[in-house]
Amino acid sequence: MSGLFGMLSTTARSLESQRYGLDAAGQNIANINTPGYSRRVVDFGAVPPTSERLNAGNGVEVLGVRRLRDRFFDRRLFQENPAQHRETALAEALGVVESTLGSPNATLNARLNQFFDGFSGLAQAPTSSTARADVLAKGQALAGELRATDSRFQQAQLDADRRIRANVDEINSLANRLASLNDRIANSDDSGTMTLRDEQNEVVKTLSSYVDIETIDLPNGTVQVSFGRGKPLVIADVAYAVTVQNEPTTGFARLYSGVTDVTAAIGGGTVAGLIAARDVNIPGYRASLDTLAYEVVQQVNTLHDAGFTLGGVDAPPFFQPLATVAGAASQIALDPTVAANATLIAAGSVAATPGDNGTARGLAALRDARVLSGNSATFTGFYTDLVYGVGQDRAIAVSEGTIRGEVVQQIENLRDGVSGVSLDEEAASMMRFQRAYEASARFFTTINETLDVLMSLGR
Amino acid sequence: MRVTFGSIFRNGVVDINRTAEELARRQREVSSGRRIHLPSDDPSAMATAMGERGEMAVLDQFTQTTDSVDSRLTVADTVYTDVLNRLTNVQTRAAGGRSTILSQTQRDALAGEIRGAASAILTAVNTSYRGMYLFSGGQSLTPPYTAGPPISPYQGDGNVQSVDVARDRSVQVTFDGGAILQGSAAADVFQTLEALATAVQTGNMAGIDQGLADVGQAFDRVTNAQTQIGIELARLPEDRARLVTQRQSADARRSHAEDANLAESIAAMSQADAAHRAALGSLASVGRQSLMDYLK
Repeated sequence: MSGLFGMLSTTARSLESQRYGLDAAGQNIANINTPGYSRRVVDFGAVPPTSERLNAGNGVEVLGVRRLRDRFFDRRLFQENPAQHRETALAEALGVVESTLGSPNATLNARLNQFFDGFSGLAQAPTSSTARADVLAKGQALAGELRATDSRFQQAQLDADRRIRANVDEINSLANRLASLNDRIANSDDSGTMTLRDEQNEVVKTLSSYVDIETIDLPNGTVQVSFGRGKPLVIADVAYAVTVQNEPTTGFARLYSGVTDVTAAIGGGTVAGLIAARDVNIPGYRASLDTLAYEVVQQVNTLHDAGFTLGGVDAPPFFQPLATVAGAASQIALDPTVAANATLIAAGSVAATPGDNGTARGLAALRDARVLSGNSATFTGFYTDLVYGVGQDRAIAVSEGTIRGEVVQQIENLRDGVSGVSLDEEAASMMRFQRAYEASARFFTTINETLDVLMSLGR
Repeated sequence: MRVTFGSIFRNGVVDINRTAEELARRQREVSSGRRIHLPSDDPSAMATAMGERGEMAVLDQFTQTTDSVDSRLTVADTVYTDVLNRLTNVQTRAAGGRSTILSQTQRDALAGEIRGAASAILTAVNTSYRGMYLFSGGQSLTPPYTAGPPISPYQGDGNVQSVDVARDRSVQVTFDGGAILQGSAAADVFQTLEALATAVQTGNMAGIDQGLADVGQAFDRVTNAQTQIGIELARLPEDRARLVTQRQSADARRSHAEDANLAESIAAMSQADAAHRAALGSLASVGRQSLMDYLK
């Protein structure tokens, strides 16, 4: 049985322990908005009695402080986060492309229709200088719109490329930070690493928003991170930089881990979404635009070449001839001689017959000619298919991003269920520790008064 | 499951963003009257709307062409009417010239009237529309005949031009003046009228009879040509009505694809507004409730 002075020591330990509990609650409340913070709980243990008989024990002691974390939820988050960010980045990049297409009544389709309207007007008045000037203006507007649309598509590609380069800088910065955290965690005792490990977790999560990563937790508390199908990013306290090299033909960024090109191996995260937009989606749209421009030039020139000018002689090509489909949309332009002299436009199909409108009618009828997609699509139908494709690609990316976002949100909720701070719970803890502290203090007062009584016996 | 401060606010903010997005979308629908602003809003509807707008552009072009053709054929019809009136007048005068009791002065006057009719017919067939001669076939920059004397032979060609007033229908808008005023005859109507005038002037009865027969043939050719124009002119209102109907149908399909149903959009906007207010209110309300409030 401990003496009164022993009880005072027990009470002092209790007061210290309850204060420790209050301190943990205060720490939790203080970090309620700190990203990645894991709530702390204090583990208490009863101090066992000494060897004396009839000793109830020696109060309480703090066994330690734990951060509550479930690695399963972290892993799930690191797996789902890249998928959400890939779709979101893709949707954003395609949103830029989509906004360049214009509204339904102000698209390239309108320019195509107006171009053929011009020839229809010329067919009504083959000798009219106004009708010829109108055809020239509408031809130039069509060529200009094709070039401008291609330029906007190219700009969207360049924007995606710039963002990829910026993201690589972010990845390298995060990798360096993680390597530094690994170093500090490996060289600290366990009790001092809780905050560092929260930060480490948050850095890995942020990394997973840029690229899909694989993580391995090592016993010493460090995290090993790889990306791009097994290429090292962070091992212990070493960060392996992702480098960028310019692709020789396009000048676009290729991502390297050491000497290995990992561009195609990145399957998730913002970088993957931007790479998909830059290397797959937008080039596809540009190829379609090139096909459209090339066929416009080919079909119009074929008919125009066979026609005759107002002066009754063989007509030059209406558009400058193009050698290849690739790059057609960026190069389409009216033939300079035609652009400078509207009488060179071929309206007639019979020589020396200025009133003949056979060629103009044929050119106007091209509007309905199925000359694309294996002779199944008209010019406007082909462009409509392109617009549909852009819209569908973005709608799918937005939808996928939303679905993935909800999955991530659910995982974060589950993770918060373990690691997050609940104000009500902390308030209850505060009450609990406050009451225990008050009771201990009261017990201390009681022992003190008992000692006073004991002391007064000798007077 | 533990419900934490962070998850409550994160979920609340996500919900607020979602309801705000829906409210903004519905508000834009109501203010613009359109359901689609970008292809991704509804790719299929966007494609439909673009297709229908293209179809409407084609139909508008055909309507404009139809109006132009109508004007042009009306001018040609007027020319034919004028020519027929002149030929009828010539027939009357030539028939009068068959009388044996006419003085030379009277014969000279009749011949002058016949020559005047020829001149008027020349003016009529040399009519141009928007700078193009209607009766020169493909040589629309060249007048069909040049005044004399003598009036020139036909200077146009037989390459008559048509324009499309629908995908499957075209209408002839220039005419072969030579075929109308001469056809397979040995002389054109001007030579015929000059010969007739000379016959009347000289009292050549056989010549007058031959001239009247030739004028009769010319009359028939012009009448046939005018009949053809009349048939086309009669069909044009039907063409126009069909184009209007087709355009209305295309516009209805376009509207169905891209326009907002305002009643539905306004109701949805009210609903989205209520949902947004509820999301804001619920987060504010949840944020206020805490055990901390009960601690003294």
